[in-house]
Amino acid sequence: MLMQSSLRAKLQEAFRVRMYFYMAVAAVVFAVLLLQLMNLQLIQGKEYAVKARINMESNIPIPAGRGDIYDRNFREGEKNVVVVSNRPSFNLTTIPANFKSKKKLNEILDLLARLLNIDKDEIVNEISNSNPWERVILKEDVEFDTIVKIASHQNRFPNIDWEDASVRVYNFSEMFAHVIGYVGSINREEYRRLKSEGYKHYQKIGKSGIEKQYDRLLRGRDGYVRRIVDVRQRTEGEEVGQRPSAGNNLVLTIDYNIQSTIYEAMKDLKGAAIALKPATGEIIALVSKPDFDPNVIISKNNARVIKQLQTDNDRPFLNRMIQSKYPPASTFKLITTVAALETEKAKPEKTYYCPGKYTLKGYIDHDFYDYDAHGTVDLYWAIAKSCSVYFYQLGLLTGPTDIIRYAEDFGLNQKSGIDIPGEVPGFVPSRQWKYKVFGQTWFDGDTLNMAIGQGFLHVTPIGMCNFVAAIVNNGVVYRPHLVREIRSNDNSRVIKAFHRQKVREIPLSPVTLQAVKKGMRLGVMSGTSGRLSYLKVPVAGKTGTAQTRSIRQEKFSQHAWWIGYAPAEGPTENAVACAVLIEYGIAGAASALPIAERIFYKLNELGYFDAAPLAQIGPKQNETDIRKPAVQPRLQPKKDEAANKLP
Amino acid sequence: MLFSKDGLSKIDYNLVIAIIVAVTIGILMIYSAGFDPIDKMNNGLYRKQILWFIFGFIFMVGMTVINYQALGDYSLHIYIVLVVLLIITTIFGTPVRNTRAWLNFGLFSIQPSEFMKLGLVIILAKYLEIRERDINRLRELVVPTLVTFVPVLVILQQPDFGTAIIFIPILLTMLFVGGADVSHLISIVLIAAIALVVPMILTYREWVGAEGSNFILDFFTDIRLLMIVSSVMLLITLVTFVLHFFSVKKFLRKIYVPGSILSLGLMASVIIQNLFRVYQKRRILVFLNPDLDPQGSGYNIIQSKIAIGSGGFFGKGFLKGSQSQLGFLPEKTSDFIFSVVAEEWGFIGGLILLGIFGFIILRGIQTAFDAKDKFGALLASGITTIFFFHVLVNIGMAVGIMPVTGLPLCFISYGGSNLLMSMISIGILLNIRARKFVY
Repeated sequence: MLMQSSLRAKLQEAFRVRMYFYMAVAAVVFAVLLLQLMNLQLIQGKEYAVKARINMESNIPIPAGRGDIYDRNFREGEKNVVVVSNRPSFNLTTIPANFKSKKKLNEILDLLARLLNIDKDEIVNEISNSNPWERVILKEDVEFDTIVKIASHQNRFPNIDWEDASVRVYNFSEMFAHVIGYVGSINREEYRRLKSEGYKHYQKIGKSGIEKQYDRLLRGRDGYVRRIVDVRQRTEGEEVGQRPSAGNNLVLTIDYNIQSTIYEAMKDLKGAAIALKPATGEIIALVSKPDFDPNVIISKNNARVIKQLQTDNDRPFLNRMIQSKYPPASTFKLITTVAALETEKAKPEKTYYCPGKYTLKGYIDHDFYDYDAHGTVDLYWAIAKSCSVYFYQLGLLTGPTDIIRYAEDFGLNQKSGIDIPGEVPGFVPSRQWKYKVFGQTWFDGDTLNMAIGQGFLHVTPIGMCNFVAAIVNNGVVYRPHLVREIRSNDNSRVIKAFHRQKVREIPLSPVTLQAVKKGMRLGVMSGTSGRLSYLKVPVAGKTGTAQTRSIRQEKFSQHAWWIGYAPAEGPTENAVACAVLIEYGIAGAASALPIAERIFYKLNELGYFDAAPLAQIGPKQNETDIRKPAVQPRLQPKKDEAANKLP
Repeated sequence: MLFSKDGLSKIDYNLVIAIIVAVTIGILMIYSAGFDPIDKMNNGLYRKQILWFIFGFIFMVGMTVINYQALGDYSLHIYIVLVVLLIITTIFGTPVRNTRAWLNFGLFSIQPSEFMKLGLVIILAKYLEIRERDINRLRELVVPTLVTFVPVLVILQQPDFGTAIIFIPILLTMLFVGGADVSHLISIVLIAAIALVVPMILTYREWVGAEGSNFILDFFTDIRLLMIVSSVMLLITLVTFVLHFFSVKKFLRKIYVPGSILSLGLMASVIIQNLFRVYQKRRILVFLNPDLDPQGSGYNIIQSKIAIGSGGFFGKGFLKGSQSQLGFLPEKTSDFIFSVVAEEWGFIGGLILLGIFGFIILRGIQTAFDAKDKFGALLASGITTIFFFHVLVNIGMAVGIMPVTGLPLCFISYGGSNLLMSMISIGILLNIRARKFVY
């Protein structure tokens, strides 16, 4: 019994020891829990409070309106030619995770695909590649009526939402395509590059032309609504976080009237034409054909059209004014002239006899032909009649080094610096270049070819236009540009005005300038450009016919050039320089001249050459050339009309 | 003597008040968590919880009236009834989120596995009382282990991993308190650890696509080789164990003790590796490391920590917790209700709740100390252990230091069965404490 009770006491004692141990473990556990609670709430509380805010706040962007674009005749408060504007529209969106099942989502997508002509596979693909809580755009540019219908049958379209999304409208479709460009959804590469500047992945961005170059000014800044949302993205409350600030408007240097004149004149042709004011570098018109309709490019489900345009042999996306190079042909004779006169190797009065061909003496004699026998001609007549035999000999006399030097001085191997992206420089060969590429020295035959603008030379049309501008300006060239000023979105304020900007100055003697100008004027009065002689404004110009190999079996294997300016007499402040290039034209005079004719006729009709106040050269020049357009252009396009254009 | 009323005057009213405060906090939090601030509607779970509380209170009072020693007498009956109920539930139960843990009675449904916890504690208390003097022998551990593993295996079939796993620490704690040899308990834990570690490493390597191999890994990957090696080891162990009876050489013990641990652990690991499906093993891995499943339980932990941390010192206020109100916090009425308390009432709220649980556990231990008989002491410590592990696992999970399991927080979480079981347990505690001087 004693044994029993002592064993009992021993067991009791063991139990007590173990219970004390238990209590100690429990105390430690509670202490650990308390410490962790303090750590979370008291030490890291602020950080977790931020995380909780991030969880419940969802910023819904309010898109900023993109700026409008006007032509050069813009006057504040008047009816203006709106080249690019915006049209209110809607995007149909959904949050895939809100659907109870994949099947439900599929049913809705099927229904919408039938009703709205949506490519369902594309959307299914998009959904499977993105966060299910993120909004997916089902269809862009949905009409208001459709939205009303969906809103009134919401039980049939659960979880289908919409958002404002204005759509860019290019009011003149193809006419300004190569100048304005178009916008598009920001792509991965662009997003990576521009993220730091505040670009968002859902935004539109200018893809080419003015839209790309001035994107930062046009786009404005998106605002946002701050929503308190629950885990299923249902909204509990919202407030405007930041109001959007609309993008700036642009006023172009382009005159709608001239642009449309050229556009109409070049209707079925391929090529490019430009008119610019040498005194400032303002581009009054710039057309490249063939072209495309930006409205089609920006519409959704456009992949097929874009593919078609991209694979088109005529390459409509190519801006032939700045992105394509051609042999300058006879227009280059003017540079040969400048080189000869500036180096004083010849005088304008020097004559050569032209029998219709020139034989280059050498190991084997080579005949270089002219299209006609011009008899004895001096420099003026050689320019006017485009006498190649004269320039063969003038070129040999001057030598290739100086011709190349002047071609380079005029910037024919450089970019013009025009304010749209994608420009390519022209190409001027050199002795070193030829040796490097062909392993041959420079032959006299090469000099002959170069003197008349054939051979290795390739220039952009805008490069030749800049050459004319240099002649008009006595050697000074201003940067060609397309935008006159940037205005606030309500047009009330000029944010920035673009002044002329000198890019190069070529010292030219009066003798040279007088000779070139006289030769070009003679060319219009009784030479190759005779078709323009009747115009009221005195025009000076030079034709060119570039021989090219016909790669694509075109009918004519010649490119037609015309460069020139007006007025040929009097002050040059109002002068307009012009370059026209027609691909595979019949001949210089026949294909390019009618375009030049229409340009100068229209310019004169609009009063571009009327004596203007001379004092206003320089910054204020911008405000001098505003005149009432002769033909009232289409102003704001009718809404349904613009809509009909979209597929 | 089944009923005796003379103990009623000695009821510990402090504990009753603590329970009433805890359940009230729970009901308020279930109200808050059930409120939808967008639809301005409450899902009404709090009303059910109030009903369960009333129901549970009656049971608690009832438990104080009967003589708790009668529970010991009927412990086997209670155990068998509960196991049968558990099996019926596992076969015929209403599946909720792929788990057959509930028996539906139309108006309400019960979760027998909750009551099983108490049932196990009662039968273990009774067994350990009977075998009090021999419990330090290894063979006496076989029955408690079997008694525990029957419900564990059934619950694993439901499958309700979190509930099943809680039985094991309850068993070990009760064996420890009941006087089992500590070295035996450590051996069991080691065997279990070996049994789990091998398949877990293999599953983990397979899951994350680990490259490379070496001799040891190849050995573990080859199940048959593993089986043969562990069988040989077991054979050697048995031989040395038999030799041990004829010779008292001490070094033999040094062979067969670690030998049996290793071989049994490895054999168990082979069984786990073969019996469990890949997704089940992955679930255990996620249980141990939630970061492996950032969309699932990893997400839950992150949201819970945000809820608790953003509560700060004073909390965001009743019905104002963004994490719970806007639904970022998952399972907010059950598993993560502590996070709701800590978010809306801040550190103060969390401290009060920890204080209440600390008090309950302290009272449980005191009751075990003061109990007039061994059964009462073991029963009280077992019940305390149930509460203790629920607090540890549930709050530990909410604050991010324990794996995610579906264990409720007693008295606070929504759930009738758990509340009822907890109230009954408290009734038993009150009973034991009230009768400490009654012989």
